Parts: sequence; C-alpha cells; structure tokens
Amino acid sequence: MKPESEKFFEVLKLLRKSKPLLASTEDIESGVIKRITKTNYNGLSSSQIIDFLFGWVYIGWVRRTLITASIVLVMVFIYQQSIILKRIDVLSRQPVVISKESTLSPADEIEKLLIVYKNSGRIFPSKTITISEREMKELLESVNELQIKYRDLKKLIEEDPELKKMIEKKLMENNRTKINL
Amino acid sequence: MIDLQLIEECKGGNFNNFRKLVELTSPFAFSVAFRMLGNEDQAKDVVQDTMVTIWQKLKKIKTAEVYKTWIYRIVVNKCYDQMRKRKRNPEFIADEHTWELIANKLSEGPSAALENGETAKIITILTERLSSKQKAVFVLSDLEGMSNDEISEITGISKSAVKANLYHARKNISEKAGKFL
Repeated sequence: MKPESEKFFEVLKLLRKSKPLLASTEDIESGVIKRITKTNYNGLSSSQIIDFLFGWVYIGWVRRTLITASIVLVMVFIYQQSIILKRIDVLSRQPVVISKESTLSPADEIEKLLIVYKNSGRIFPSKTITISEREMKELLESVNELQIKYRDLKKLIEEDPELKKMIEKKLMENNRTKINL
Repeated sequence: MIDLQLIEECKGGNFNNFRKLVELTSPFAFSVAFRMLGNEDQAKDVVQDTMVTIWQKLKKIKTAEVYKTWIYRIVVNKCYDQMRKRKRNPEFIADEHTWELIANKLSEGPSAALENGETAKIITILTERLSSKQKAVFVLSDLEGMSNDEISEITGISKSAVKANLYHARKNISEKAGKFL
C-alpha cells in the first residue's frame, strides 16, 4: 500500500504531463474579433471622448473629480439656458406698453391701438368679444373721423358768437323739454 | 513567444496583429482556465473574455513580462467569476468511475496520458472541496509550475497566504488520493 503523499505525487505527475490542449484557436480568434468590433462600435464615443478630454490627468481620483465637476457644470449651463429661453418666450408673448404722455396724432393713436390689440392676442380685455382685425380697424377709423368732425364743429361754434348763442339756447330748450317730460 | 513589438503593433488597432497575439496567448490562458474550471467550454469562454479585456486595456502594457503576469491575473479573476456562477448551478458531480479512471491511468505507468475530458473529470473530483483561492494556488503552483512570488502577484494575495492555501489544497487532495486510490 502506497502512502498518501506518493499517490498524490503520482496523480500530480499525470496531470502535469497531460497539459490541456486547445484544438484550434480559430473559434476563439473569430469570437474575440467579433466581440471587439461590436464593442468598438458601441462604446467608441464615451470612452474616447473621456480619454481625449481628461487623458492628460494621470491621478485617478483627480480625473474622476474633473469628470464629475464638468458634468455638473454642463448640467447647470443647460438648466440656465432653458430657464432663459423660457423667460424670453414668455416675454415675447406679452404686449409692451411704454407709459409716457401721448403726443401722437389721432391716426398714430389708431396704429398704436391696433398694435396693442394685435399683441394682446386679438381679444378685448374682457376676453369675451373676439372681432376681426379688419372690423377693429374700421371701428377705430370711424371713431377717429368722428373726433375730427367734433373738433371742427367746436371750432366753428367758438369762432361765431351768434351761432354759439343759438346753439346754447337750443340746448337749454332741449334740457327744459327733457325736464318737462 | 510574445514580444513587446507585437504588443506595440496591436496597440495601433491592427486586427491581424491581434489575431497573432490571440493565437500565441490562448494556449497557456486555456491551460490555466481549464485546470481551474475542469470544463472545456467554460475555459474557452474565459479565454475569449480575457482576450477581449486585453484588447480594451492593451495600452497599459509596457513590457512583455508584465503582459504574461497580467494575462494570468485576468484569467484567474474570470475563473473566480465562473466558479461563483457555477456554485449556483452545479453541473458535474464526480462519481466512483473517475477514481477507477485515475487508478487505471496510474497503473499504465509513465506512458499514461490524459485526454481533455479525462483531465477535466480528474481535476474536478480532486479539487471539488477546495475554495476558489486554494484551487487557483494549487493549479498555478503544482500544475503550471509557478513560484510563490508569481502566484502572489497574479492572485493578489500575500506570500504567506499563498503558502497556507497551497498547504491546505495539497493536504485535501492527498487525503482524497489516499482514501480512494
């Protein structure tokens, strides 16, 4: 009967002598090349960009910190830009009214009113009536025309005292009739 | 023989040179993987995974000597992963026929040689009770003929731990050999 150690060394000798044989490396080669080309295609961008940007940093933790800091900065930048764009969008939708004393002619007033009307989304302040741009323009023009006629009439009356008296008298009579009625 | 020139050429991304590197590296990577796992298909998978990892990290290699140690380290780590997976799904259960096979082969004398399938069975039955580390140390030391310093570098465990693991592995296998042969 052989001792344990002798049996162990015999088995060991047998195993050492029988080195495992790889029948063909072609399967492994083709499998590896296939996986490499796939990996290259998928993971090209992220690793190469990081190497390109931070390849000059050799200390691991410094590189990681830099990558993290740059990601945070980019995210903050994107967030700020989105907020700014949102604000610009909101402001561009609002009508701008500069409060100053009006020195414009009645025709300019109409244009101004029309601009305000256009920017306000073609809706009146009450937000109950919606009219077309053409109708609005006609309305404002007629108001303007009426104002001009009223001004001319007033001027004529003031220039002629007799006419003024007559009109005043007529108006008083009218008032009396109204009271009588 | 793997020289630094071939490694340098592969760093440039040349697939033909890398095929040559795979052809030269695969046999000894397969030998270690096969002896650790006792399974040809799994050993081939480990070799393939190893070569893909090598391709991805080839730029870090500065000398040909470092390359060999580095490959062994990758193979051993990938074998650990495989063993961990296998613990959940054990495939091969050794039986008394394997001991008969060993006894027959030993009786054949110095001319006896094992085929891959036989080697797989014998290694599996001898090392089934060993831990992953003990298995790695036993294969690298007693079957691949490496020194304790090299094993320590490859496995990342201290020299004293290498010695301790090797002692326990040898003791376990000797006991088995004494009991069943």
